[in-house]
Amino acid sequence: MSATAEAPPAAPERRRWSRGNGITVEPRVRAPLALQALVSAGSVLGALLVAAALLAASGNAPLSVYESMVDSSFGTPLAFSQTLIQATPLILTSLAAAVAYRMRIWTIGADGQFLIGAVAASGIALKLGADAPALVVIVASLAAGALGGAAWAAIAGAGRGYLRTNEVISTLMLNFIALGFVSYLIFGSGSFWRDPTSATQPLGKPIATNAQLPGLFEFADIGILLAVGVAVLAWAALRWTRWAFELRVVGSAPRAARYAGIDVPRKILSVMCASGALAGVAGAIVVCNVTEALDPRGLDPGLGYGYTGIVVAALARLSVVGIVPVAILVAALLSAGPALELTGVPNAVVVVLQGLILLLVAAGQFFLVYRVRRV
Amino acid sequence: MRGVSKSFFGVAANQGVDLVLQAGEVHALLGENGAGKSTLCSILAGLYRQDSGEVLIDGQPSRFRSPQDALAAGVGMVYQHYRLVSGFTVAENMMLGHPEMPFSISSRSLRESARSVMDRFGIHVDPGSYVDDLSVGEQQRVEILKLLNRGVRVLVLDEPTAVLSPGEVDALFTAIRQLAAEGRAIVFVSHKLYEVTAVSDRVTVLRDGARVACRPTKELDQRTLARLMVDRDLGSAAATIGAAAGEGSQEPARNQRGAGGASPRMESPRTDIPVLEVRDLVVRDERDHQAVTDASLRVYPGEVVGVAGVAGNGQRQLADAIAGLLPAERGEILLRGNEVTRASVRERVKQGCAYVPEDRLETGVAPGLTLEENLALRSYWQSPVARGPFVSLRAMARRAEEEVARFDIRGGRPGLPIRILSGGNLQRAILAREISADPAVLIAACPTRGLDVGAIDGVHRLLREERGAGVGVLLISEDLEELLALTDRIIVLYEGRIVGEMPTAAADRERLGLLMAGVEDAA
Repeated sequence: MSATAEAPPAAPERRRWSRGNGITVEPRVRAPLALQALVSAGSVLGALLVAAALLAASGNAPLSVYESMVDSSFGTPLAFSQTLIQATPLILTSLAAAVAYRMRIWTIGADGQFLIGAVAASGIALKLGADAPALVVIVASLAAGALGGAAWAAIAGAGRGYLRTNEVISTLMLNFIALGFVSYLIFGSGSFWRDPTSATQPLGKPIATNAQLPGLFEFADIGILLAVGVAVLAWAALRWTRWAFELRVVGSAPRAARYAGIDVPRKILSVMCASGALAGVAGAIVVCNVTEALDPRGLDPGLGYGYTGIVVAALARLSVVGIVPVAILVAALLSAGPALELTGVPNAVVVVLQGLILLLVAAGQFFLVYRVRRV
Repeated sequence: MRGVSKSFFGVAANQGVDLVLQAGEVHALLGENGAGKSTLCSILAGLYRQDSGEVLIDGQPSRFRSPQDALAAGVGMVYQHYRLVSGFTVAENMMLGHPEMPFSISSRSLRESARSVMDRFGIHVDPGSYVDDLSVGEQQRVEILKLLNRGVRVLVLDEPTAVLSPGEVDALFTAIRQLAAEGRAIVFVSHKLYEVTAVSDRVTVLRDGARVACRPTKELDQRTLARLMVDRDLGSAAATIGAAAGEGSQEPARNQRGAGGASPRMESPRTDIPVLEVRDLVVRDERDHQAVTDASLRVYPGEVVGVAGVAGNGQRQLADAIAGLLPAERGEILLRGNEVTRASVRERVKQGCAYVPEDRLETGVAPGLTLEENLALRSYWQSPVARGPFVSLRAMARRAEEEVARFDIRGGRPGLPIRILSGGNLQRAILAREISADPAVLIAACPTRGLDVGAIDGVHRLLREERGAGVGVLLISEDLEELLALTDRIIVLYEGRIVGEMPTAAADRERLGLLMAGVEDAA
């Protein structure tokens, strides 16, 4: 106890690191908006330059590759609608990550919650059948997705809140269990979700079109508007509700939260449920509109929307406003991949390109957190 | 060690301290919190480097640049916070960093060599268990074994008994005496007098970073030691010590400043309802130690009750339990006559309980939140900030504006986290928040610790104002000057028990010092 009294005074809050070469690095309290925009643009540009060197070295013309990248993600209505369809679940899973991370709950469980959300949503949609009114099916399946995701997240949330289990481990394990469960429903059992008419290859039962969201243009549906609407709601809620005030207090200092009379374990559970609900809605949207059947293949492509959402949330620095454009950008990068392969750029280069851009954007954030000065 | 000085950020922690250790002796280092004991030990063990002065080992000046250098010279230290690698076994921890460790070794031969070390020194811990599963006493034994295995001749133990149970303390003392008998020098840091007299051969007393005495232990009684430790009126001249020891036992010197700001209305027993009453309170802390035992106290409106005690004697847990942050295991807590023993933090706030926690930056405020948000931290769930499920940012800002003006909180800017405030302004913000809730009782735990003189004055003024406004104040402090100047009554806490209570007018530093050090009330 007396160590606190006898220890030297704590170092001043604004620590500096002098590199001995006339440059110091010091933490910023807050980065101005203009700088944030500048750094984001600068690091994307930097990434494109580095990637250009790489492309040139591998025998591709950088400019034409970039051109076809833009074309294949924004160039045509078809391409753009593909990007938006990818961005929709990504916005929701990024929000799921951001909400929890703001309270320093390091969940990586959005992927599992996404899958369970998809199971619940497709279950309701299949149950209601093709004859039910579209609005009822849509609302019911979205709600089921949210509930399913929240319930799945509640397992890890209760563990973290009441039993102090590590949420990183528990959510990761729950992701594998969710994936195994979905596989079991389609491949391992004659479950309600499996299509009994397809005897040769196990498939999910097709979901009727009355579960699909109304179209927006080309292939895109109003899902993107829904996701942006959820983001706006989340932004407002994080700013103006008591729930979010408590979330900020717990995230900043759990002991201060107890001092403020906040039930911290309950708060952790409730934030995990909110995060799970967001991921679950993403699952509901994808299963009803994109795959149109519960099927482990194709439901959650690539790294998985849950994990990619973590990347998006980190790139957006957990800013809800930032998540929407970043998610669209990342979706564009992802949807450009297959198109690029068609133009002859090898898949490996495409993946490196995507990784490089994300890496440099992340590295650029150094300048938002720290100030570099000459002295 | 000769003439060792060290300062941190301009604050002197050690000033020209001499310390001579002889082989085969247990040398106690005694002093209040902040007297410079840990700093001196850390210099000896190579963790810090002195600003001036020298450290001589066997008469040879040595300049340790790291704890490794000190270890090579035979000086090892057991820190207050143990430096064991969690997730490793006892044997692994003992052998880690040993220069003769082979690159690769089987866990069995590791355990065997650990066991042979234990046999050699007669100190035993199961070498195969993981250090996380050990009790604090066992962990301490591992720390000591680790150093003995490196062949230390000077063993520094920084407050080794602070976390031990009485039985473990006895075992430690036996081990200490044996290690000294084998020719090692043991430095034993403590502020508990009976331990010093029980185990040490010689004692060096530090006060305000300077050495005030160095005598054989048997020449000093506990009363003299206490006085050397706390009484600033006694000069540091060694000549006065003997004389003081003689008269001290019969006629305790009265402290001139004792009455301070207190008013003499303590005499008659009061009949009004105390704003805070605690009856036979038992509190366990987060680590399941019984931190407060059978504590009973009353705070009446318009009085300041001081809680004196060396840090870590249950003050924080007592305050936390009253404020509702720690559950009471037994006993009762009443605010304005209403029982709140099981009530939530918010219920207690509603009953008029204001709390300035000891841990300013992690409990008193949420450091990442803004000043406005922090000023609403203890009332955001009610009007005017709460609007149904929402919070009114405007109400928050308006309130912040008022309190910034009224309490002169400087350095904050809207939208920036509160952690950018200086310590004094941060504490003013916390006090502003707690006081503007119009409390019945204000619990202030170490409210001036680490603040500069001007900020301390400001805090004291606010506490006096609250007392004048009829608020009951419970002031927990390690600073006797502060308690003597501000309080009407003083309670002394030692190892979680209330060992003494007296009107401030009748209190003097010596008696408080003895009580704080665990010596039975001689009055």
